[in-house]
Amino acid sequence: MSDNPTAASKKDEIQSETGETTDHRIPQPDPITNKDLMKSWFGWWWANEIPHTFDRMLAPSFCFGLIPTLQKLYKDKDELAKAFQRHLLFFNTQATWGGGTLTGVTISLEEARAKALANGQEPISEDMINNTKVGLMGPLAGIGDSIDSGTIQYIFIAMFLPFAKQGNFLGALLPFLCFAIATFTYGYYFTKMGYSLGRSAAKEIMTGGRMAGIIDGLGILGLYMMGILAGQYITIRSYLKFSISGKVFNLNSILNEILPGLLPLVAVLLVYWYFQRQGLKITRALLYLTGALIVLSIFYII
Amino acid sequence: MQVTLSIWQALLIAIWVALVESRILGFATLMMRFSPLMTGMMVGFIMGDIKQAMIVTAAIQLVYMGFVAPGGALPAEPAIGAAIAVPVALIGHMSPHAAIAIAVPVALLGSYLYQFRFFLNTFALKPMDKYAREGNAHGLRFSIIGIPALISFVLFIPLIFIALYFGAPVISMVITNFAHGTVIHVLNSVGGGLAALGIAIIMQVIGKQRLLPFFFLAYFMSVAFAALKINMTIYAIFGVIIAIIYVSLSQKNAKVNN
Repeated sequence: MSDNPTAASKKDEIQSETGETTDHRIPQPDPITNKDLMKSWFGWWWANEIPHTFDRMLAPSFCFGLIPTLQKLYKDKDELAKAFQRHLLFFNTQATWGGGTLTGVTISLEEARAKALANGQEPISEDMINNTKVGLMGPLAGIGDSIDSGTIQYIFIAMFLPFAKQGNFLGALLPFLCFAIATFTYGYYFTKMGYSLGRSAAKEIMTGGRMAGIIDGLGILGLYMMGILAGQYITIRSYLKFSISGKVFNLNSILNEILPGLLPLVAVLLVYWYFQRQGLKITRALLYLTGALIVLSIFYII
Repeated sequence: MQVTLSIWQALLIAIWVALVESRILGFATLMMRFSPLMTGMMVGFIMGDIKQAMIVTAAIQLVYMGFVAPGGALPAEPAIGAAIAVPVALIGHMSPHAAIAIAVPVALLGSYLYQFRFFLNTFALKPMDKYAREGNAHGLRFSIIGIPALISFVLFIPLIFIALYFGAPVISMVITNFAHGTVIHVLNSVGGGLAALGIAIIMQVIGKQRLLPFFFLAYFMSVAFAALKINMTIYAIFGVIIAIIYVSLSQKNAKVNN
């Protein structure tokens, strides 16, 4: 703290004069440099698909990338733990366009939050950081999937495929190297761009007094994107068939006549209802849901 | 030229597959997974016949041109297909087309293995919550990289090794037994249903019950328009517009009421 002779340390002094025993002053964050952005981008790039899970998808990799930066921002153990936890929640996007940009944006928001906490100002809320990520991850992934895996990758493969057909190993090595270098480079560029964009946005949010409206808007966007994802990712259908007096009924087509997409929606709402009643007990919900899915599918009910 | 496959060669190929499928080499392993080329090249190096290996792999590549994985789920694992089909083709002096016939079903089976990896990760990565609560960066790093990497190695190395060592007849038998069996059905159902959990978590975290109608709106939009295959970006633009309209209307209301 000695290296930061600003308004914050003045406040610290006042606080330490008034009450030493319950001293909750939060230390100033270290400044974020390009090196930190590179570290976080590399961390996300490297971890990317390694810890992929069904329930959180790529959140652990995103958190992994942010670890060194969050350690610089939050010298307070509680705030650091909170930051780790909020970045372990469901997150899925594409690596460069989505992950690069959002790594930058998230670092800028976390930096603004850490500074505000240290200066005793109203900080950017955790919801705001979560909702920004959730709102942007889907559309950016859509762009990234079609450009990186759908286009760039196959341009390089097609370019060098004649080598492979002649039995030359360069037909395999060159497209891989080109793809690896190109995506790593522009992903880092997106990280830097996201960081500077996020910084200017964070400033405006903090000074404009429009926080409540923006949080509502991001909440709408977040819930809306979850609705779209639920419709596209959750594939639960019934395989149950039964016959009544010779006539065969197919439960799935009956359900589809009543309301298309009913089963996935019921699954989400059941878990959501469980969280509403019991609090956010993720491990238990995971066990119950897996158990239910296994039992139902063994009997071909789903 | 007589080509054979020793225990060590089979093991090396199995380790290579585990490196690719664990994604331990970073984001760029995406291409090693989606394309059989790098795996074919490694098999060629290991078995000492790069030229023929590349010719066979180029034929397999053509089958998988344009494969993309929206949301991370690829309908086949071309790298696994190549890891089995290229050695079998080299040993049996098979034509590239016969190699394709082996690669395609094996790659399909491989995609279930990759899904099974997600399934194991889902449970095995739990310690990271504890480390996050403690603010323990070392533990967090270990549980995010170490545990899933270990799972992939334990999962892929023995299976690929056994498959290579015992050869193609066994593989085709396993595939026909499993492809329509209950095990695969259960894996599919669990995989397809567990996404509900992550989505419900975010809904709970956003925490604004009065905004839930927007979830329902989007859900039924995506169900109703599924056949139109609307691009995610278009959906997002709708979402942004809806959010802006809601916020500006509610702020206007607040002003009028004041």
